Amino acid sequence: MPAAVSKQRAAKWIVPGAPLAYGVAMLVTVERLTKTYRNFTAVNDVSFVVQAGEIAGLVGPNGAGKTTIIHMMLGLISPNAGSIRLFGRSLDKDCEHILQRLNFTTPYMAFPARLTVLENLRVFAQIYNVREPIAKITELLERFGIAHLRKKPVSRLSSGETTRVGLCKAFLNNPELLLLDEPTAYLDPQAALQVRNVLVDLQRTCGTTILYTSHNMFEVQRICNRIIFLDRGSIMAAGTPIEVTRKVLQEDRDAPALDEVFIRIAERHSNEAVSN
Amino acid sequence: MKPYRIKAVIRRHAYEVRRNANHITYMVYWPLVNIAVWGFFTLYLRHGDRLQPGVVNCLLGAVILWGLFNAFQRDMAVGFLEELWSRNLVGLFASPLTVSEYVTGLIIVTLAKAIVSLAVGSLVAWLFYHYDIFPVLLTLFPFILNLVLFALTIGVAVTGLIFRYTTKFQAMAWSFAGLLMPPSCVFYPLSSLPRSLRPIAAILPTTHSFEGMRKAIETGGFSTSHFKSGLELNLIYFILAIFFFRWMFESAKSRGLLVKME
Repeated sequence: MPAAVSKQRAAKWIVPGAPLAYGVAMLVTVERLTKTYRNFTAVNDVSFVVQAGEIAGLVGPNGAGKTTIIHMMLGLISPNAGSIRLFGRSLDKDCEHILQRLNFTTPYMAFPARLTVLENLRVFAQIYNVREPIAKITELLERFGIAHLRKKPVSRLSSGETTRVGLCKAFLNNPELLLLDEPTAYLDPQAALQVRNVLVDLQRTCGTTILYTSHNMFEVQRICNRIIFLDRGSIMAAGTPIEVTRKVLQEDRDAPALDEVFIRIAERHSNEAVSN
Repeated sequence: MKPYRIKAVIRRHAYEVRRNANHITYMVYWPLVNIAVWGFFTLYLRHGDRLQPGVVNCLLGAVILWGLFNAFQRDMAVGFLEELWSRNLVGLFASPLTVSEYVTGLIIVTLAKAIVSLAVGSLVAWLFYHYDIFPVLLTLFPFILNLVLFALTIGVAVTGLIFRYTTKFQAMAWSFAGLLMPPSCVFYPLSSLPRSLRPIAAILPTTHSFEGMRKAIETGGFSTSHFKSGLELNLIYFILAIFFFRWMFESAKSRGLLVKME
């Protein structure tokens, strides 16, 4: 990230009282977050921070709690315990302000199917108070290679095309923080590569902070500076991809191998299920 | 509340009206059918001199105003159901849009649609049955206001129920007004109800609106007591509905239902 952009961004979101770690204010501070549904604990005492300009990966098997954490960070689910601070502000108290400065995409979201791509994006552009919305939408549609679909109703799009409309929505307000829940899940390899390139480019040029969930370990290893590995609602390991690899596999590796980490954890679950 | 976000909600529903023929059905088709059926009935009553013209006018006026009440509370709940059916709730409520902005936008859209329904019903009654509601519209306005406020209250409460219990309660969007119709004395005076039902009827703002409407059409006078009673009841119910909605919304959030609504 260019130093000038980084400095400008940091100055924008640092507020008095924001928690500091090693002299750097945290963009995301999640502390002792817990979510339970009757007898099931979806997220158990999870704490982590994300620094400005970082691409952090929130990974783990199905049911690890990744999506629940993202939804709690968006204010869609209330936690049972713990706190979330974004841009140095409490999500409980400053939800509206916080949500204006971030954006997201998730497979749980869809668009009104009868509305065209352009109409859907115009509605969201107005919600985020985007200046010159048509120009911004056109730029994004071109960036994600779907400019030819602008007048098509969403009902006639493939899942990959809908995913890209979701990504366009996520970039409408030039977010300082992006929460991306499996953004490449329905994309073919070429489209997934295009999206990864856009994300990395955005992070480099604008200093956008990204919290990313994915099952594609190759992808996570490639774009994330840091990984938070979750299992059954708790953090199992956190650090750079190589640190997580070494910690979980308990071997002195030279290169990250998150695929192996993932498989090792899944095998543990299978063995436990057999022994029970 | 930010006006541009309320405008975004209006824009979203305006696009939906343009692209979804169901809305035209709701706004035009049903008012036409209702007025046609009741219009023929009043012609039949007039033809044999079976009833005085004042009663016939009251019947048509009641059909128009009940149509307005029904359309308002239904369209408000259906407007919200459309977000749920299209899985758009996550996108909306994870944005800076607040619940109060969303509900305000939805109310404005619903009001516009109800006015179209009212205009269609009134125009057809005037053209085909020579029933002109427009001269008494000014006298009826306070009662219409009370009807709209109660429809809004019910719309808010039903929307809260849908938030919490999802589509399990979606039938309420169409059927709740029907439950209120018998004790609301839409087509008959309060005195014609069985004694046991009268206390229930007396606590419904709709009853006071229709009683007031009948008086206005029959005598041309304005019933201050019916307007005042209706308004007071409305204020109580509206405040309760807001609390109920908040409770249901927070409960839905706590149970993670906003992201899993089906």
